[in-house]
Amino acid sequence: MIEIRGLRKTLNGKRVLDGVDLDIHEGTSLVIMGPSGTGKSVLLKHIVGLFDPDEGDVCVEGMSVPQAGGREIREIRSKISYVFQNSALFDSLTAAQNIQLGLPADHCRHVYAMTDPLVLEAVSLVNMGPEVLALLPSELSGGMQKRVAIARAIVGRQKYILYDEPTTGLDPVNASVINRLIAQVQRETGSTSVIVTHDIESAFFLGDRIVLLSDGKVRASGTPAELRSSPDPVVQEFLHPKLEEEMIGE
Amino acid sequence: MTSPSSSVRAIGRKGIHVTRQFGSAGVMACATASALRRPNEWRREAFVQAKAIGIDSLPLVLFVGALSGSILAQQAGYQFTDLPMWIVGQAVVAGMLTELAPLLSAIIMAGRVGAGIGAELGTMKVTDQIDALRTLGRDPIIELVVPRVVAGAIVMVPIVIFANIIGVLSGWFTSIALLPMTTAEYVRGVQSYNYEPAVIFTLIKAVCFGITITFTGCFVGFHAEGGAAGVGRTARNTVVAIIVALMVLDVVLAPIYKAVS
Repeated sequence: MIEIRGLRKTLNGKRVLDGVDLDIHEGTSLVIMGPSGTGKSVLLKHIVGLFDPDEGDVCVEGMSVPQAGGREIREIRSKISYVFQNSALFDSLTAAQNIQLGLPADHCRHVYAMTDPLVLEAVSLVNMGPEVLALLPSELSGGMQKRVAIARAIVGRQKYILYDEPTTGLDPVNASVINRLIAQVQRETGSTSVIVTHDIESAFFLGDRIVLLSDGKVRASGTPAELRSSPDPVVQEFLHPKLEEEMIGE
Repeated sequence: MTSPSSSVRAIGRKGIHVTRQFGSAGVMACATASALRRPNEWRREAFVQAKAIGIDSLPLVLFVGALSGSILAQQAGYQFTDLPMWIVGQAVVAGMLTELAPLLSAIIMAGRVGAGIGAELGTMKVTDQIDALRTLGRDPIIELVVPRVVAGAIVMVPIVIFANIIGVLSGWFTSIALLPMTTAEYVRGVQSYNYEPAVIFTLIKAVCFGITITFTGCFVGFHAEGGAAGVGRTARNTVVAIIVALMVLDVVLAPIYKAVS
């Protein structure tokens, strides 16, 4: 379980997170959504220790991330994988080598990435053939890069997978493919997913629970149905474009 | 018009920024030194980096080394008219070993290697690749900094040796072609120079400069911000920072010559 308590963070003079409290339960899928600049990605980076909070705490299975030393932070990170918004694949490595980086360093030194059974399994889980393994990231499309990034995130079978805007920059078809893939990975690996997105369609498709961040605070939290029926005008204003589309559809 | 108090504040802010940068560089240097104890984790990548750094830079370093030797020989020949001609050989070997070969090689390496490292790591920083390494449980210092710094320290030694050799040979060729002197006079000048301390000095400089170039490139790259424009700024800042650091280091290292001689 991941527990976030009273998290505050100021960046470049702006209060980005202003007292966020959140519990993320194992085996569930939590979507964090909200308008751009409300601290969604910053919140995610606190969970994996890329940012230190000004105040508050983040605990992963009882271990405090901000107070963790070198060994503890490595242990925490060994339970978490992170899919970056722009995939963050290493330009000079092939897809196979990129995926293998999700495995311990010792394993990478002793097993050839192209024939690594764990890499091949991860590639097949993200519905790609082994022919992509020898390609460099620059030879892959945006959607394929995202799939390689997800394969890198799942190859080590970490308990928690954090997705930062996984469908941003993709066309609707590829975005839908990635959404289905995230749901499939969650089903097949039993991992806990935390997905940051401002895409309402993705949020309602993926989330067991949805959290709406606004002005650095948790404005609303609940199941998709609870959020849809929320009387909060800020929630309705955020969801409004989607509801309008649905009404037009009806 | 700027008020005195705002100027003081601006100077104070700059001072705090510079102090923070030095502190941050110190932390990175300690982490790099500490990671040297685990050679199994960086040895292979250091070899790859050494090949890339050394082979790419050697032709240009040799070219500039040859020009330096030639210039030294000509200036010595034209200016030391009251002295015997063999002094030209001594001036060339002294100038090359103590100053020109290590410093000019380092400045070329700053432009080719330092800027390249700054831009490469800067791109990795702004595209989240360095953060990705951290989340994958890898230490970016071991994966990216240590191999480059070790490669720089090792590769600069042969590069400076080659620059010295080509400089002295070029000085000889210039002397017999353009100055009224013979090969025997040039060789006498070279042999009469007490070059043992100068050789030690040039090698110490080579290692220190190699470390400075690669470490500064890594440090500036790790602190890159912004998109493509940020990477461009990083490459430029890397070269400026390295050249300033090299000149400061050159002054600081000068007394070592006295110590070794």
